[in-house]
Parts: sequence; structure tokens; C-alpha cells
Amino acid sequence: MPDTLTLDPRLSALLLRAEVDAFNTAYCAALDAQKLMEWTEFFTEDAFYSVISRENFDSGLPVGLIHCEGRAMVKDRAFALLKTAMFGPRYLRHMVSNLAVEAPRADGSFEARANYIVFEVLTDRPDARILQVGSFLDVFRRVDGALKLASRRCVYDTLLVPTALCIPV
Amino acid sequence: MAWQMAAQASALNEGQVLGVRLGETEVALYRLDGQVFATHGVCTHALAFMKDGFLEDGQIECPLHQGRFDVRTGRALCAPLSRDLPTYAVERRGAEIWVDLDQPGQAAPRPAPQPLASETRRLVVVGAGQAAAAAIRAAREAGFAGPIALVGEEPHLPYERPPLSKEALLDPAAAIPDCLDPTALNVDLHLGLRVESVGEGRVTLSGGAVLEYDALLLATGGRARRLSVPGANLPGVFHLRTREDAEDIARALRQARRVVVVGGGFIGLELASAARRLGVAVTLLEQAPELMARLLPAPIGAAFRHLAESHGVEVRRGLAVEAIAQHGQALLVSTGEEHFEADAVLVGVGLEPDTALAATAGCALKAGAVAIDEAGRTSIPGIWAAGDCAAYPTALRGAARRLESWQFAEDSGAAAGRSIAGAAPQPLRKPWFWSDQFGVNIQMLGLPLATDRVARAGACFHTADAAGQPTAIIAFNDAAAIRAARTALTIPAEARWLDQPEEEPPMDTHAENRGITLSRRYAWPAEGLTRIPDWVYTDPWIYEREVERIFKGRSWNYVALESEIPNSGDYIRSHVGPTPVVVSRAEDGSINVFENRCTHRAAEFCRELKGNVAEFVCPYHQWTYDLKGNLQGVPFRRGAAGKGGMPADFKVEDHGPRKLSVTTHRGVVFASYADDMESLADYLGPEVMREFEATFDGRKLVILGHYRHTLPGNWKLYHENLKDPYHATLLHTFLVAFGLLVAGNRSLMLADASGRHGVMCSAKSDPSKIAAEDKKEMRAFHDGMKLEDPRMMDFFDEFDSEWSVTMSTIWPNLIVQREMNTLGIRQIVPTGPNEFIMKWTMFGFEGDTPEMTAHRLRQGNLMGPAGFLGLEDNEAMKFVQDGMLRVPDGEHYVALDPATPEGTSDTLISESAIRAMYRHWREVMGL
Repeated sequence: MPDTLTLDPRLSALLLRAEVDAFNTAYCAALDAQKLMEWTEFFTEDAFYSVISRENFDSGLPVGLIHCEGRAMVKDRAFALLKTAMFGPRYLRHMVSNLAVEAPRADGSFEARANYIVFEVLTDRPDARILQVGSFLDVFRRVDGALKLASRRCVYDTLLVPTALCIPV
Repeated sequence: MAWQMAAQASALNEGQVLGVRLGETEVALYRLDGQVFATHGVCTHALAFMKDGFLEDGQIECPLHQGRFDVRTGRALCAPLSRDLPTYAVERRGAEIWVDLDQPGQAAPRPAPQPLASETRRLVVVGAGQAAAAAIRAAREAGFAGPIALVGEEPHLPYERPPLSKEALLDPAAAIPDCLDPTALNVDLHLGLRVESVGEGRVTLSGGAVLEYDALLLATGGRARRLSVPGANLPGVFHLRTREDAEDIARALRQARRVVVVGGGFIGLELASAARRLGVAVTLLEQAPELMARLLPAPIGAAFRHLAESHGVEVRRGLAVEAIAQHGQALLVSTGEEHFEADAVLVGVGLEPDTALAATAGCALKAGAVAIDEAGRTSIPGIWAAGDCAAYPTALRGAARRLESWQFAEDSGAAAGRSIAGAAPQPLRKPWFWSDQFGVNIQMLGLPLATDRVARAGACFHTADAAGQPTAIIAFNDAAAIRAARTALTIPAEARWLDQPEEEPPMDTHAENRGITLSRRYAWPAEGLTRIPDWVYTDPWIYEREVERIFKGRSWNYVALESEIPNSGDYIRSHVGPTPVVVSRAEDGSINVFENRCTHRAAEFCRELKGNVAEFVCPYHQWTYDLKGNLQGVPFRRGAAGKGGMPADFKVEDHGPRKLSVTTHRGVVFASYADDMESLADYLGPEVMREFEATFDGRKLVILGHYRHTLPGNWKLYHENLKDPYHATLLHTFLVAFGLLVAGNRSLMLADASGRHGVMCSAKSDPSKIAAEDKKEMRAFHDGMKLEDPRMMDFFDEFDSEWSVTMSTIWPNLIVQREMNTLGIRQIVPTGPNEFIMKWTMFGFEGDTPEMTAHRLRQGNLMGPAGFLGLEDNEAMKFVQDGMLRVPDGEHYVALDPATPEGTSDTLISESAIRAMYRHWREVMGL
């Protein structure tokens, strides 16, 4: 987006929103395809990523199902899941909606939030069960012009995890 | 009137019964001497179809219990029937049979006995039971016209006894049918009176009246045998023989929570069955090595036992009662080594024939009873005997015997009655016996001996003597087999001979599923603790028993960390086993645990996961409870405007929720349903306590957060997973790939002396020192694998312990995880045999630096339902339960490390701690 053009602020908000929307769509597509190494590309090097229950989040307790400080840990998560983890075969579908994007700060970073649902299908059951319902609490930053997640906290309402969370949210 | 066509006449042959359905009504059609009769098609006693019955002499015999109805009048002719069968008008219209359900059938007149005008002999019948009634009926039917006097000690007309051990125990209002019509048969009654003496043609009654006789029938029956032990006469110890006995037992069962049944014969088992139907816990004590040992071969006794056990009866064999004593409100039944507490003791140890009068009259005895011939005559002319006081007239299986059965009472009574009237006896029928227990109808035809060989075909057991001749059939829910056997006893070719007591399933409880077996039997495999049968993990009854005996038994259950409720008024919701409880801190600093159930209408009144309150208020009717769980206030207790309100004797102290015993140690809170639990130190034992105190080292705990997840597996699998160090390097490739744990690590699988607790311990070692042969065995050791952020694997040695990892399994619901520096509590909340909820509470310590907290959180990625290790454990346990549910009735093979049969092992390749746990489990469960 050329800096020289002065856009109507409503238009730039709309463009940014479209950009985040496209980001989330690509992010979910990587996870749905279980291309976990591609998924790590969505984060900045110093990114924080956690999947945390609403119970903990509301109480200010830090424990999350997944807790990554930095992209190196995100990559370790992806690598370990791909290479070492044992879990039953499954398909996932991530759905994102109700996206809200805040105005960018001076450094270009900005906050966003969206609701999400993750459906999980096990190969021996007919139903797609809801694995998680929650919201993404995000901080985005541009790296070489491209949007990256500096922070994504996936705050889930579904306190009782059904058996295991094998693929990230 | 609504006549409708019911059947083609050609479909109903002479002497046959045909079932048809007219609208919603089952109808049975019968053809007798060319005439057609119609009755309702379903037995008035139990759900059985008349069309499946057996038509003979104008009587239809129900297939289930051999009750007989007169098909012309619908009249119920014998026990267990108490209600007549409705009859319907029926007529032939050309080639069709038409029925009108709105009008009764034209009852054919009953043939009236032809009195012999010359008859003047006088008959006195002593004993007013079923044999007496059968004799009087038969005598009158055979034409006896003289006066008949009936003397009975019980104040009742003769009645049917079989319901006393069945329906009458379940329903005090159940009708016990009389079996004598004294008016129609012209009988002079002397009830509620004892006979003082007989002889010389005279019977002297208590009170002095004298009855003179020409014929005397002794039908004195017998008495329930008493236990001859101290305390056998205490209130609460019951025997069963009379209607009053049955009423007393029915009343006692209504108030009892648990009973002891003494004696594993038919009566004992029927008593146990009734108690279980009423939801009462039952322990059955049998002196012999197997149930029914006096009557039946051991494999059949075992089948009866399995049936009882599958309905929750705890059967203990080889235990003789030595004393019964009052123990507070309860009774304590002692067998010497063991003591059983019960609200009532039900004794079913047999019958003692009452032969006193016969003996004084000089009648010969045999087999402990009055000797009679096939006409019921005793050795003294003019005196007959019948029923339970008499021995079988001929030798049975080569010996004189008694047959205490409904059929023998009926037949011997009828034989005596006919003989007294001068008629010849009917031929003796094959001995036949029936019992209803645990929803199963069991019939026995023939006379088995305990020494017979046994063959089984489907739901039938066949017995044979030493020469291989069939002697009896015992059928579980298979009346057709009994009916077939009336013609000839044969052993089907496909029957399997059983030379050992059979550890096979009992019969299904539903008649319609007869032949299908329930898989629920609770016999541990003969190999012992190296095998664990699936029912341990999948059976609902086992689960219920675990809740009672383990979670609500003598256990300390984890409920909270003190740090979760630091201040007065703080509370959390928690669980003891599946039972929701509130854990609260009261004003005096005490920690209180009580059931989360309003005592008024059961509402689970505390709904928030945690919070702070001054008191708990049930939202439904505003009943309030203080922080210790005491009921404080009840709105409108005294009513409004002088009306309504609680009963005058209502006291809040009597209506608080169940409170549990509480103990805490190093900030960890435990609760127990037992009021006299041993200390936590004694409960854990020194070795487990040492590891507990290594983790809870006295520093104050800081809660970092929770995980909660369901797991579709049995709750014990979680304990076993952490008593199974074998899986660690094989399932958790992560540990191996990144060098955290290898088979050569220094490790210990600790089990406490009881076997219930355990600690899996290992010490981190340098991956470069791992022997090459150990590496080969591991699924995926990659030397090159490294974490991009290896901080997760750092271990800061902050504990006074030689182990870097300890996983403590503290029976029954707590796991203490110390995986290097990530620390957590896991609380098991079972929700059924096939699922549990796990609540994790991750913590650090007061004084942790921010970097230490960050480290604990990073390392936390190993654990929880998304942890590198945690998700694999959860998945693996799900697979185990799936396997058991989908390929059922198998067993697990846990034989690793035979050098350590049960208990602590210093190798990872061991299952000895699992075996130790099951040794304990079986003790507590009594299995």
C-alpha cells in the first residue's frame, strides 16, 4: 500500500480489515491442512502464542494448553507434533468470524479480535464435534510489509477439552 | 357386544391351544371334546402366553411356573396363581371361530362330587398348609362325605407358601392366595390351635377340646431351621416360614441399607434377590465351598452364584456364622475371622420337619420324616401323612429322601386324600421344583445329586449318574426344555460336560432373551494378577461398587489446594469421586467439605467454579448454609399468617448436607466419607509421603491455572498409565527424541505397602552416555533431533530429591506431577465406567522469580490435554477403552517383570505396580 496516497480513513480501515481477514483465512487453511510448518510462518520471531481457557484468562492465571514464547517454540510445537506425537487420525475445520480490527498504533502494530470455532472429525464417528469455541485476541505487526502475529491468545470457552487438543488452534 | 372372527376352526385341533390377537387383546382358544373355549391369552401371574402352555384335562398349564387354569371357567387352580383368567364368549360360525370380548364365556359346570350316602367316617387333618388343603380337596373330589376337621397352629386358612419368598417380600400388599374353600368343601376349622396329643382315635387340642377321628392326616410341615449360635434370637434376625415371617422381612428390607443372608440355598437366594430388587446391599454367607452344595453339583451351584453376583450380591463361601451381636443400631455377624455389619440378618438354612406328633403316635420315621407309602399311609393304620413332614414314599436315587417342594406337598396331600376316600393314588410324578430369583425363572425336573456329573447345553444344565443315565434337568428361563423333559430326560448331543465349576456367565434376566448370556460375571482369571478382565473397566455395577467402596470408602480424596481458598468465605466446587462437593474456608480459618446438594430438594446449590461468599444460598427456595455447611435458615419455617410452615419438630441441625472429614498437609486438602480415617501419613505410608513432601516442600503454593478435560476411558487406566513405566519411552517418542528419558535412565517404580499408591521416578541423564543397545530398542531415537528453543528441557534442581521426575499416584483420585520444574495436581472425577473428567491445577511457589514462573509455563507444554506427553497419554487411554468396548469380554495381559510379582520395581520394564494396585483393589472390592 503506497504511503503517498492519503486514503479516506474509513477506506484504510476497510482495507486493513480485509487484509486481516485474508490472513486468518490463510492461517486456518494451513491448520486445516495440518501443514504445521507453514503455520509457523504466520508468527513474528518474538511472537507469543497461547491457547488458554477463559477460566484462566478471566482469573489472570497464565497457564495455557499451549504456551509458546517466540517462534522457535512455535516451530518446536509444529515439529514435535509432526515427528513424534501419537494421536488418532482426525480432520479439523477452523471457522473465524466477528472480526474486529483496532486502529494501528504509531509503530504500525495493531490489535484485532475474532471469534472462532474449531470442528473436529474423528474417523470413527459420524459427527463433527465442536473441539473449541473461543476468540482470538491478537496483536499484528508488519514484517517486511507482510502481516505477522506478534501475539495470538486463543481464549476458549469450552472449558472441558474432549480428550486432547492435538492440532493447534 | 362385538363378535369378531378369531380363527379358522380348522386351525384349532382337538386338545390344542391357539393364540390369536384381537385388537389389543391376546386371546387363547382351546378345543376340548369338540367344544371351543376362549380365555385371555396372558397368564395372570407373570408375562407368559397361554398358547405356549400345556393343555391337559381341561386345564392349561402356564409355561413359566406351572400354574394351571381351568380353560372352561378361567379359574386359577393352584399356586403361584392368585387371579382367574378372564374368559370370553365363543361360538362356531360355519368354518370359523368367533369371539366376543365383551361377554364372559359360558362356564361349564364343574362336576359335583358324588357323595357316598353311607360315608360316616370322620377325618381330622392336623396342620393347615398346602398339603392339608390338597388332601381335603382330593378327598371330597373322590367322594369322601364324612365330617372333616382341620386343625392349624397358624390363624390362617391354608395358603400358598411359594410367594412368601418372592412377591410377598417385595410388596407387603401382595395377595397370598388361600388354597382351600372351607365352605364349599364343608370343613370344620380349628385354627390358631396346637395339638397336644393324638392317638386312640382322639386328637386333643390346646385348650382341651377333643376331636375324634376315624382317619387322621398329619400334615404338620416343619419349622425353619434356626441358627444355633449366640445372638440368633436378636431382633433383626429373621427366618422365613409363615406369612408373618414374610411380612416382618418385607418391613425390615424396607428400612435396611444392607443385610446379611445366611445360607446359599433356594430360600437364601430368593431372599437375596428380593433384597437386591429393593436396592438393599446383600452379603450372602454360605458355609460350603459352593452354593446349593447339598442339593446340586458344584458347576450348577456356581451358575446360581454367578447369577446372584451379577446382581450385586456379595457371595462369601466357606464361612460359617459363629455369632451375631448387637453393634449400635446394626447387627454384627461374625464368622470368627471376619465380621459383617448388617441392618438385618435373613436366615435360610433349611427346614426341620415337624414329626413330634407322628412319633408319639408311633409312626415309623425315615430320612428324618414320617414314612409313608404311595397312598400316604403311615405305619400306623388310620393315620396318613403328607407334605413337608413326610418322606418321599419310595427310594429316590437309591435312598430314602425328603422333597420339600410345592409339587410334593400337592401330590402327597392328594394321594392321602384319595386314599382316605377309598380311591387309588395317582402315579407319582417326577420331582419338580421352581424358583424365581434375580428375574430368572429356574426350574428343576428330576432328582440331581451333588455327586452327579453335569453337562450344559444353552441355558440348561443336565445331570447324570455314575452310569451316565440322565437324572435331572435344571433350566434357566427355558420352560420348553422342562416340558420336553417331562416325556423323557435326555442329554442333548451338543451338551458340554463340565468337570470343573464353570466360570461362565449367568443367564440373562429377561425371559425374552433366554439363552443369551450376560457377560457380567466377576470371576478373576485363574492366572491371577497378570490378567485383568475387561469388566474391571467397563462394568456399571463394578463402577457403582467402586464409588461406594473406594471413593466413599476408607480413602483420602484430594479436593483442593489451600491456596485456592486463602480467605474466609473463599470456596471452590470440587468432587469426591463423582460426587460434587463444596470446599470452603470458614471464618475461623477452618476448611470444610460438604456435599453440594440442598437437603430440601436436592438442588446443586453452589454453581460457580469458585468465589467468595458470606453464606451459600440455594436459589430454589433460599435455604441457606453457612461456610461450614450447616443449614442456617429456612424461609417461612413457621409458615405465613399462622398457616403452613415446617413441622413443629423440625430442627435445622437435622437437615444439613453430608459433611466430610478433612485433612490438609503442606497446603493440599483431602476429604473422606469415613469419620475415623487414619492420618494422611499412615494412609500414604512413609515412602510415598517422602515423595509427597519432596514436591510439597513447605513453600507456599501459587496457582498458575487449570486444565480440564474429559477422557473416554476408565478412571483406573490413568493410575495404571503412571504405574506403567514401560510405556514412557515407547509411547512418548518426544522424551526419547529429545533425550529426556531413555530406558537406561536411573529409575524406580515405587509402590506403597498396600499397593494402592505409587510413584514413578526417574533421573534425567546425559544422552551421550546412553548405551547403544538401549537406543536400538527405542522407537525413535534421533541423535540429530534438537529443539530450537531448548529452554523447555532445562531442569533447575530445586527439590530435595534424587529424582528429576516423579509422578505420584495417590489413591484414589490424585496425581502429583513433578516433571522437572512443571508442577501439577491432577484430580480424577469419574463419571461412569467408561469416562472421567480430569481437573489439573498447575502451580509454582511463592518466591518464584518471574523467570522461574515463565520456565514452569514453558515446560508446561509437556503436560495437559495438549501437552507433548499428555495428549498421547489421553489418546492411548481412549484407544484402550475403545478396544474393550468394541472387542469386549477380553482380558489385559500385565505380566512384565515376573521377578517382582507385585510392588516396587527398579526397572522401567515392569508392570508390578499395576499388579500391586489390583491386589489392593480386589481386597477392597471383595472380588
